[in-house]
This record gives sequence, C-alpha cells and structure tokens, in this order.
Amino acid sequence: MSDATLPKMQARPAATAPRFRSATEESPAARGALIAIATGGLALLVGAPLAAVFAEALMQGWGAAVASLASRDAQSAIRLTLLITAIAVPLNAVFGIAAAWFITKFDFRGKAFLITLIDLPFSISPVVAGLCIVLLFGANSALGGWLVASGHPIVFAVPGIVLATVFVTFPFVARELIPVMIEQGRAEEEAALTLGATGWRVFRTVTLPNIRWALLYGTLLCTARAMGEFGAVAVVSGKIRGQTATMPITIEMFYNEYLSVAAFSMAALLTGFALLTLLLKTALELRHADALSATRRH
Amino acid sequence: MSRAPLIQRTAMPGLGLSAGITFFMLTLVVALPIGALLWQGANFGLSNIWATINRDRVWAALWLSFRLSFLAACFNLVFGVILAWVLVRYRFPGRRIIDAAVDLPFALPTAVAGIALTALYAPNGVLGGLTDQIGWQIAYTRWGIFLALVFVGLPFVTRTVQPVIEEIETEVEEASATLGASRSHTLRHVIAPMLMPAALTGFALSLARAVGEYGSVIFIAGNIPLRTEIAPLLIVIQLEEYNYDAAGAIGLAMLAISFTMLLFINLIQIWSRKRIGHV
Repeated sequence: MSDATLPKMQARPAATAPRFRSATEESPAARGALIAIATGGLALLVGAPLAAVFAEALMQGWGAAVASLASRDAQSAIRLTLLITAIAVPLNAVFGIAAAWFITKFDFRGKAFLITLIDLPFSISPVVAGLCIVLLFGANSALGGWLVASGHPIVFAVPGIVLATVFVTFPFVARELIPVMIEQGRAEEEAALTLGATGWRVFRTVTLPNIRWALLYGTLLCTARAMGEFGAVAVVSGKIRGQTATMPITIEMFYNEYLSVAAFSMAALLTGFALLTLLLKTALELRHADALSATRRH
Repeated sequence: MSRAPLIQRTAMPGLGLSAGITFFMLTLVVALPIGALLWQGANFGLSNIWATINRDRVWAALWLSFRLSFLAACFNLVFGVILAWVLVRYRFPGRRIIDAAVDLPFALPTAVAGIALTALYAPNGVLGGLTDQIGWQIAYTRWGIFLALVFVGLPFVTRTVQPVIEEIETEVEEASATLGASRSHTLRHVIAPMLMPAALTGFALSLARAVGEYGSVIFIAGNIPLRTEIAPLLIVIQLEEYNYDAAGAIGLAMLAISFTMLLFINLIQIWSRKRIGHV
C-alpha cells in the first residue's frame, strides 16, 4: 500500500526529457520543508531533553554519577520502585486478562459502559487519582482511621503507592487485549470445549498463544508507566525518605536539594529504561504487527 | 419480556471468575476512590465547594491550566498532523528512528521530562541561555509550562492520524488532480476533511492529558500564585496543609472538566463513525 504512494518511476531518458512531478506528491521544496519541520521539531522537543538528561548526569564524570546511585536513599528508592512495579504490573495483567475475557467471551447489557469505566483512569489527572485514594483510605476517613489504628495504614505506605500505580495504569492491558480478542472471535475456544477441554486448558492452549504478543505489549507499556508515575504517587506516598520515596519522588527530592548529579543520574536510569521500552515496543510492532491491536494509540 | 436478558447464557467457562476479578478490581481501584471524592464533595456542600473554587487564586490556576493546555493541544494538532504525514508519505534516512521517538513522551517519566526541560531552558541552560540573549525567558514563565504541555501531549495527534493517512487511497488524490485541482487544493479539500475526525480525537486526548499534567510542569513552572501556578499543584498544596475539603473541591472541579472532555471525545467519535464509517 505504501508503495503506491511513492513517486512512480517512469522509464525514460533522464537527460533529455523534462521531469514531471506526480500529481499526488508535493513539490520537492514543500517536501523538504515538511521533513525539516518534522525532524527539527522532534529533535528540539524530544531529542534535546533526552541528551540533557545524560549530559547533566555525567557533568562530573561517570564516577560521580555511579556513586550517587549507590547512596542509601538512591538504593532504597530503586528497591521500592522495583517492588511497586513487581506488584502493580501482575495485578494489572490479571485484571486485563479477566476483563478482556469477560467482555469478549460473553454477551451482556452495559458492555459499552463497562469499557468506558475501565478507560476512565486515563482521563483523570494523576493528582486527582491520588487525592481520591487519600480521601478513601487516609487517616481523616472512617475507613482510613480504622486501618491506621489496626496497624495497616494504606496512605503514606506501600499499599497506597501500589493502589495509585494500579489506578493510573488500569486500562493498559485490557485496552490492548480487547480489540485483539474481539477480532479472534470465540470459535476456536468453542471447538476446544466441544472436544472436552477444561476451561483452564482452553485458556492456556488456545487463547493465550493468540494474545501473548498483545499481552506482552500492554504489559510493557504498563511497566514503563508504573516505574515512572509521579503525580499520583507524590500525593499518596507522603514522600518519606527511605520508606515511601520511589525513584521519581527521589528525583524531585535530589533536584530540590540542588543535588543535580544525583537527580539526573537517577533520571538517566529511568530514561535508559524508557528507551529500552521503546526499543522492545518497536520490535514488537515490526515483528508481530498482526497480533497487536490494529490502531496504535497510547 | 421483550428485553434481552442481562447476560446471555453460553457454554463458555470462566464467567464467574472473570466477572468477579473485573468488578472487584474496578470497585477497589476506580469506583470506591472516585466515590470517596464525590462523597467528600456531597458532605462539604455545593455552596462551600463554590466558595472554595470562587477565589482568585483557584480561578487563575484553573484558567491557566485550561488555556495553556488548549494552546499546547493546538500546537500539537498542527505539528502532529505534519509529523504523521511526513512519516507515512515520505521516505528519508532516519524515518524509523523518528517514528519510534514520537512515543518517547509516553515512555519517559514525567518528572524526568520536567527536570530535563528545566535544565535546558533555564537561563543558565543551553537553550535558555540563547533565548535569554533576546530577552525571551522560557523556564519559570508560562512559556515553560506551554513547552512541558506540548511535550507530554506530543504523540496523541500523530498516533491517531497516522493510521488514517495510511488508509487513504491515492486514487482519490489522482481523481482530484485529473479534475484540475492543484495539489494544495486537494490537500485542503480532499485530504484535510478525511483527517479531521482523527485529528480532533488526538487534539482532545492531548488537551485532556495536559489539563491534568503535574510532574513535567512543576519543575519548569516557577509556581508563582496567580501567574504560573497550575490547578493540580493547588490540590497538592491543599493536601500538604491537610485541608481535605478544599483539595476535594478543586479535585471535583477538575473531575468535571475531565468528564466534559471525555464526553466531547466520545461525541467526536460517534460523529466520525457516522460520517466516514470508522474512527
């Protein structure tokens, strides 16, 4: 399809004949200008900040950057972010699979409304999401007061950060799986059932192989967001050094304390992970385009 | 009973389990917390909520957030369509890298984007130093907020418009050209209407994202009340003072803005589905 949009090369003696431009392409000048705007704009808006992160991190050399990541605050932030991600992402994947199964394998009323509800967290400001969790589980509410009294606080503790992270990443897996599973239909699962397979076996041997790339894709996006979430976590974590300060929160602390190298070294670590995510995502899109949702959004 | 049953009976297994997990998570993670915000608002009372919002500082923050988000979404609309067009129609070295780089604002944590933009555009930064010489300060002014909002909303328009451009049949453009239309006439009257619904969806998504954005903005904004203070920051400030009622009131105002925009996005999609058969 994209070949049809390329200029058609006519076989003609190049030296003598005048050059005609295809009616479906812009003049070379316009073309060049558009490419320049696109690449130049992206280099300035995306490339420059990316370069700035690494340049600032290495301002005092590799030694200082690595040493800043070995500090106790940095180490505990890295451990906490890994812990939060390790809890939130599987929770999200299980929810995504269950929701996609429920929505695509059964017919019920209110399906469109349910999908809207699942998508809702993407339209809500992360700060408002954090606020909602504080109002529900904070010490000021009846539920929160009881939780704190019984020794299981949620807000200003790890469970609250997990909850906030699951909130902001809620739709990632479900929204990637639903279109793929709608397209695949139910016939293969029904055939397996008729042949006597149990429900779990049908899921493992029929459904899972069909959705694995889409599942990986959704999980990947979810992981990137989970590691980097700032607004919602800033509100619910209480920013307690060494206890509830995740990597992005610690970046803010270091930055506000004018520990520039430490802040940017940790930022570089997260940037490295973001680049890895993009690389894997692009590889998935190139290799398994058919197995992913047709339209690429978010 | 002529109505369809609530749920159709089928032989498919896992109804209880999948519905159970779905509703449990939806209730615990989404419905209960949002319910808590609404409950807080209901207890605080409409007149108190209005009294909280109807202060200069809150209006200034809400208006600033909305206005700059709108301007950033407008910029992203134009730039995003150009980017999508260039990526689909032209072949040039580095195209794949550019295509992948469009998604970086989605993958990069907002706090990282925030400090990186500030380092670049602060008066002692590489680019900020240049603009400072012509008396144009970017960081710690509204320009800085605008820049951060452009960054976080950058991928939306490109990613919604790109698949639509890929589907355009060149025959349509050829037909237009054979009928004597100039290239610019074809672009304006044939191509642009086809891209409009997707571009508007991307615009609305970019706007919705920008209004609620916090992490990338607070570092570069300067955060001066009435001038460069965004609405989400006000919520954080109220929470730090344990003023839950005021935080809830501003939160409700932002929730109302979010819902309005969600409705707007859905209306665009219904309209475009009626008009061209797909989103």
